[in-house]
Amino acid sequence: MVRQNGGILGSLHKLYRQEELKDGKLVGEDSFGNKYYENPRYFYSRNRWVEYSDNFHMNYDASQVPAEWYGWLHYKTDLLPHQDPGRPKYKWMAEHTENLSGTTGQYVPYSTTRPKVEAWMPKPKTSA
Amino acid sequence: MWSLQRMLRQPLSRALALSPSRLAPLTARKFADQVQAQPDNVELFIDDKPVSVPPGTTVLQAAAQIGVEIPRFCYHERLAVAGNCRMCLVEVEKSPKPIAACAMPVMKGMRVKTNSDLTRKAREGVMEFLLVNHPLDCPICDQGGECDLQDQSMAFGSDKSRFTDIHFSGKRAVEDKDVGPLIKTIMTRCIHCTRCIRFASEVAGVDDFGTTGRGTDMQVGTYVEKMFLSELSGNIIDLCPVGALTSKPYSFAARPWETRRIDSVDVLDPLGSNIVVATRTNEVLRILPRTNEEINEEWLSDKSRFACDGLKRQRLVTPMIADSRGNLTPVEWEEAIVAAARALRDCPPNKLLAVAGELADAESLVALKDLVNRLGSENACTEQYFPLEGAGTDLRSSYVLNTKIANVEDADFVLLIGTNVRFEAPLLNARIRKAFIHKETDIASIGPKVDLTYEYIHVGDSASIVKDFATGSSSHEALKRLESAKRPVVIIGADQLKTPEGPALLAYTQELALRLQDKLADKEWKVLNVLQRTASQVAALDIGYTPGVGKYLQDGPKVVFLLGADAGVVTREALPKDCVVIYQGHHGDAGAAIADIVLPGAAYTEKRGTFVNAEGRAQQTLPAVTPPGKAREDWKIIREFQIPRFCAAWIQRLPATRLMSSVHLVGGRPMLRLPVRGAIPAFLGTPTSILSPNYVPDCHSSFATR
Repeated sequence: MVRQNGGILGSLHKLYRQEELKDGKLVGEDSFGNKYYENPRYFYSRNRWVEYSDNFHMNYDASQVPAEWYGWLHYKTDLLPHQDPGRPKYKWMAEHTENLSGTTGQYVPYSTTRPKVEAWMPKPKTSA
Repeated sequence: MWSLQRMLRQPLSRALALSPSRLAPLTARKFADQVQAQPDNVELFIDDKPVSVPPGTTVLQAAAQIGVEIPRFCYHERLAVAGNCRMCLVEVEKSPKPIAACAMPVMKGMRVKTNSDLTRKAREGVMEFLLVNHPLDCPICDQGGECDLQDQSMAFGSDKSRFTDIHFSGKRAVEDKDVGPLIKTIMTRCIHCTRCIRFASEVAGVDDFGTTGRGTDMQVGTYVEKMFLSELSGNIIDLCPVGALTSKPYSFAARPWETRRIDSVDVLDPLGSNIVVATRTNEVLRILPRTNEEINEEWLSDKSRFACDGLKRQRLVTPMIADSRGNLTPVEWEEAIVAAARALRDCPPNKLLAVAGELADAESLVALKDLVNRLGSENACTEQYFPLEGAGTDLRSSYVLNTKIANVEDADFVLLIGTNVRFEAPLLNARIRKAFIHKETDIASIGPKVDLTYEYIHVGDSASIVKDFATGSSSHEALKRLESAKRPVVIIGADQLKTPEGPALLAYTQELALRLQDKLADKEWKVLNVLQRTASQVAALDIGYTPGVGKYLQDGPKVVFLLGADAGVVTREALPKDCVVIYQGHHGDAGAAIADIVLPGAAYTEKRGTFVNAEGRAQQTLPAVTPPGKAREDWKIIREFQIPRFCAAWIQRLPATRLMSSVHLVGGRPMLRLPVRGAIPAFLGTPTSILSPNYVPDCHSSFATR
């Protein structure tokens, strides 16, 4: 198991990141570098898992799993994304984004009410 | 117009003769020649309590003296008696019918019962009739909560209704009138008390309102569609006992029980009317008058009442500094204060100029003058000019209303010189009109022919007339009347004095007043009055500011500190190219537009500030809301330049009472003591003043905190 997880240092790194060492078959990798594993020896609900990309370091969370892998990881389907014939693929489909709450990229609704106090806007003196 | 005024004047002076106590103001001075032999008092009984009042008093007033409140809608103590609402019906013994207490003069031995069965039944009947013709729209009515009809129907109305016309087939409905952008009319709610009509014709002097039709068809209106063009029009909103006349800007804004009311003082005209600022959620919603018999009685001019929406627009909310391109960019307080302090420090004292504007309070005026003096300069001036020839502003009596506002109504002849009192000080004009209507006072005016709402002798438009009056060489009727008057009043408008002939005009007016004064039997009476235009001017002159900037602008100042100076007296064109302009104030206008450094201050509803009105009365505004954004109270901003830095951090920890500004009267002039000086703990070392050359900006010091 240690060997499969990348030697002693690799295993310690994984333990540090995931607090768990598991062995399993690598079934795929998504565009963010997250790796998906399966090992039917573990009981159901523990036998599919994701190892987040090293790019995320310790800041990984479940919203980083893209939609195409979500179904397989949550046992909605047993078909892996690349094996699923019925999966739609269109040009206009957006890239998956993780939940950006708490970051500078978060969505903040803008107020549609007028401010109670309207500030004076100085006239620009020079044409820029 | 002439005959109309006369018509109004006659019956009212007869009404005055009928009841001398009704119209006499509380503060009226008693003059030797005025004291007449009072007829014996009349004794009567109200609810079996004896009360003795002068003849001519009405039953309602007599009842008020012993604390018996008789309900009323149409009666108002500052308006003529109408007696048409019938709500004040009371039973009088040996009288076959109940009588209207507001119109009935007392008679000897009268026995009035204000709480008998007959009285109660009469009131309930009147109330029932009023409510039958009144819509039941209290939930959407702006008067809800401060409605006399609501209150009195709860207190005196019947507990059940006989109104069965639930399909509203025949309920009275009246088309709304359009009387302008300030007053909203919902005429279906009108109960025909005619208070607005009487106010318009008696106090405002704009005889636009009246009634048409009779009975169910009676309507209050302006006959033809027209605006209620009066500078006191807002008062009919307060007078209306129901929600027929409400404030358009305030419509559907708040309920009276939701608002916080803070007593304050108005600064938008020189009279300093007393106001109540109604606020909710840190927002000024409306401004109402507060009774002060000596200034505004219970009225308020429209400008003071409706200007409060301007407190939310065009505000300065953050300190700003001009960047390399000259565009003002928002900065933190620390940066702005340090930049301003550097400019002040590096400025040669004779090149420093401080200009106080119209709305500056006494505290910040003193603080600014202290600062300027401390930097070795004497150049503190106001925007508004006043001639410095002769005694100049050394004597207080040469720039205030010496007669006092309330005493104007005791005058028997008023001479106006170069002033349109109606627009410069609407409530003073209302006083003069009151004297004209009730006391046979005559008025003459030198200046443009304007409509002052009362008739006056127009002497002419030329300044030389004043000279002729002063020397006594004029043969005009007005001068004879003025010289024979027992209590003459001369009012000169301060705006006239900035013209080239201003000094001469003032000198001749003073001469005229002195000549009149010397002849008076009543030595207490003051003749000369100067009507200032702005709220800050009297305080600024008291403190020792020089009126007018002209002389200082010619010296080519290096640093100009504008304290709310927005009148456009100081312009960029008049200043040297490298001059630094620091503007401190609450609105972005002419002053902020030319400034290099902008320090946001507080408006009059946001600070505790002392203002001295045109008659020299010091009054204080109270903070109703907090200043917007990063704005601060004005004197605290100026204080930042004066205090050593460690001390600044240190006084933040003193109890609040030690920090409060206080205005002291020293020799009749308000002096303000700033809580700055104090022993500084030795271990802190010698504090570095922000004005000293080796001062290093420190962003952790007091500016960060309010």
